[in-house]
Amino acid sequence: MKDSHDHPHAETGATGRPGYYDFLESAVRELLIEKGHLAAGEIRRQIEVLDSRTPAVGAKVVAKAWCDPLFKARLLANGRSACEELGISFYDDTQVVVLENTSSVHNLVVCTLCSCYPRPILGLPPDWYKQKPYRARAVAEPRVVLAEFGTIIPDDVEIRVHDSTAMVRYLVMPQRPAGTESFTEEQLAELVTRDAMIGVIRANQPAANEP
Amino acid sequence: MTDTANLVQRLPNDIGGLSAGKIEQVDHELEPWEKRCHALADVLDFHKIINTEEKRCGVEALGAEMVAKLSYYERWIVAFANILFRKRILTPTELALKMQDVQKRWDAYDNGVHAHGPDDLGDGPA
Repeated sequence: MKDSHDHPHAETGATGRPGYYDFLESAVRELLIEKGHLAAGEIRRQIEVLDSRTPAVGAKVVAKAWCDPLFKARLLANGRSACEELGISFYDDTQVVVLENTSSVHNLVVCTLCSCYPRPILGLPPDWYKQKPYRARAVAEPRVVLAEFGTIIPDDVEIRVHDSTAMVRYLVMPQRPAGTESFTEEQLAELVTRDAMIGVIRANQPAANEP
Repeated sequence: MTDTANLVQRLPNDIGGLSAGKIEQVDHELEPWEKRCHALADVLDFHKIINTEEKRCGVEALGAEMVAKLSYYERWIVAFANILFRKRILTPTELALKMQDVQKRWDAYDNGVHAHGPDDLGDGPA
């Protein structure tokens, strides 16, 4: 089922001419600038910040934690300050809780109320994360949801579902794949995808990534 | 339980645990205005004008029909306008007039009257 709010934009796109909501955004922004509530350059700068945040940032954090036990301990104790150590700035007031997957626990992240997500570390969430089927079902039938992503979790592994809030966001640290003992941090980071850090899949196996 | 009790207990955003269809693993590149809208949300938060929870409540206050029919960033920008009215930062009249201005600039641009292309925020002729 496709959520009804994901309809294609008939008013925008094809012709390049903006539609009603595009005009509304421009008008709100221009008035706020004219009245001195915002400076003109702030939106542009924030767009640059948004563009600089991708799942590669989170993958680096996870790969470092796999390689450096002391960093991992700090990351699990305080996700935000450990990320800041790596130079990842938090442009909002959110805290990050890092959840370690183990052989006995698999973590899954959702925001049932809206679309809260660790954006400073992962960038913007995918559309499916923001839509009803995932938000509604992840908390009620996580094993079925994970199976839809191709992730089969054995019955003796506990699944913990974490519901995000405006102030507290979650990042899953997947299990380090076997056979990666000799990998560098950079090679390890390539195995860590956005979906693995949401918890809907595992980290990629190295064989799939090697030439 | 009556039908209306269910409405009281579940506001439009409160969908955790409800039954729903298959998860379609969809995503899209943001339109330029959607990205500007996201950046605007962040900047409004920095300035303590609209925080995340006010935004979420603002979307919920649009009511079930708009929540269902508007796209994600359409809901955000309409919610921002309503919140800014309520906080007396903007008035509906000035917003309506500004929208007319923006639209006129595009009309002029489309008719080739205006020499400039969209500015570097991508929001049309300045």
